[in-house]
Amino acid sequence: MFEYLFFLSSGLFLGWSLGANDASNIFGTAVGTKMLRFRTAAAIACVFLILGAVASGQNTAETLNNLGGVNTLAAAFTVSLSSALAVLMMLKSGISVSISQAIVGGIIGWNVYNHKPTDMDTLASICASWICCPVISGALAVLLYLCVRNILHHTKVHILWQDMAVRVGMILTTALGGFALGANNMANVVGVFIDSNVFSPLKIGNIYTLNGTQVLFLLGAVAACIGIFTYSQKAIKTVGKNVLSCSPTVAWIVILSESLVLILFSSETLERFLLSINLPPLPAVPVSSTQAVIGAIVGIGLVKGGKGIKWSLVLKVVSGWVATPVIAFVLSFISLFFMENVFKQTIFMP
Amino acid sequence: MFNVKISLFARTRDLEHNIDNLHDKIIEMTMVFKEAVDIYLKERRSETYRHVSKKIKTIEHDSDKLRREIESKLYEENLIPDLRGNILKLVENLDRVINLFDEVAHKFYIEQPEIPEIYHGQLRELVAQVADCAENMAIASRAFFRDLVTLRDYSQKVYLLEHQSDKTAAKLRRQVFESDMDLARKMQINNFVEEVADIADLAEDCIDALLIFAIKREI
Repeated sequence: MFEYLFFLSSGLFLGWSLGANDASNIFGTAVGTKMLRFRTAAAIACVFLILGAVASGQNTAETLNNLGGVNTLAAAFTVSLSSALAVLMMLKSGISVSISQAIVGGIIGWNVYNHKPTDMDTLASICASWICCPVISGALAVLLYLCVRNILHHTKVHILWQDMAVRVGMILTTALGGFALGANNMANVVGVFIDSNVFSPLKIGNIYTLNGTQVLFLLGAVAACIGIFTYSQKAIKTVGKNVLSCSPTVAWIVILSESLVLILFSSETLERFLLSINLPPLPAVPVSSTQAVIGAIVGIGLVKGGKGIKWSLVLKVVSGWVATPVIAFVLSFISLFFMENVFKQTIFMP
Repeated sequence: MFNVKISLFARTRDLEHNIDNLHDKIIEMTMVFKEAVDIYLKERRSETYRHVSKKIKTIEHDSDKLRREIESKLYEENLIPDLRGNILKLVENLDRVINLFDEVAHKFYIEQPEIPEIYHGQLRELVAQVADCAENMAIASRAFFRDLVTLRDYSQKVYLLEHQSDKTAAKLRRQVFESDMDLARKMQINNFVEEVADIADLAEDCIDALLIFAIKREI
């Protein structure tokens, strides 16, 4: 158990990075526009992130396992650590990045190191989701923006009541965003540890029993919450203020679009439904909340004429999306070499 | 929790009423000011003028109180954080317009200028244009809180009325200086005409700022 917890520490570190980095996507714009206080937003997001992770975090884990079933504890530790370090490096330079991309880079690093073929179908599906995610989020944001603008134009609601409605909306969306992040992204954090999980079921009073995997996801979620409270304010400065100077209403639309997209990519029910009506399914894939937010912000910015968007910053963020998986891949490959040859750990079970 | 929500709801409604009341005060002031100048031109400093002048003071006092309430409520309740600075500036501008109406009316009361009857018609016209200008400014400002299209419509009216009042004031001043009155009297009347026209200029400045705020207000 001690050995497991030691190796899991890198997963928890990645969980911390998820909280530090992705919280800015859930409530960064709300805090950046001063509609919600940081502590209030962080507390709401944490509660719902834990619920999302425990209740439906496992749906997206399967896709990552198909990409590369990291099957030893030491390898899972190394892949997680490399991904977390890649995210931390980008965070330090003030770029909000994608944990999903980092973990995919790390897993491919493991595949390549072990001369194991990467499942190209799964990789293609994941890469497609990285393109679809900001596009769908942008389209959704544009649609919501036009609807809200028309409603406000026709109803002529007083600015004070608009302010109150947006504030309530932001609280609800922060909760939804927290849940969506837990449900969609927690597999990135602890997904590689599922195969070697040692946790036994945990009884919560007489109401509910968490199975071993749910306990693992709960730990990851707690690490993410610590990340939210200790380090997320720096990334909030990038997303909430800098990319587009936006009004609180736009900020709310951005968070709502991002949360809806994350839920779309986490729901197996929706995937089955789309297949049943002969439409292309949205697979349960861990997508990037950062990409969803940037997609939404750019979408609305374009509808408004594109003048308010700081393209240089968008380019910086997008370059981070390319750099993150590459850095994670390289770090993972090198660390696995050290793990195997210096620390004499088994990193692959044939 | 329920009480907190009800109380926040009630306080927002109170603030909405305060903002509406401040705009009502400007519209009321424009009407009373027109009445005051009319009475002055007919009766000089009569009992009726004294009464109307007192009414103007009360409106000014009430609007000061409303301005202070709006400012403190906006900050205490942490409402509209992104536009709060603009709204404070707007409320201060509206209050400055009301104060200027009060100052001019009070000046008539103190200085009691003797204005020859041949200029009464033009002075009444100037006062009507200035009052209209301020009234449209109030309507535009009220629209800022609800409907930006209306704001633009009324802003145009303010610009037009300000231009007309400038022309009327310039014509009146030229006629005054071309007359046979002694210089001191000419200077006194000129000073009054300038001060009345200044109200429209201030209303125009207010609209300039308001249109900038409106850009930020768009979602």
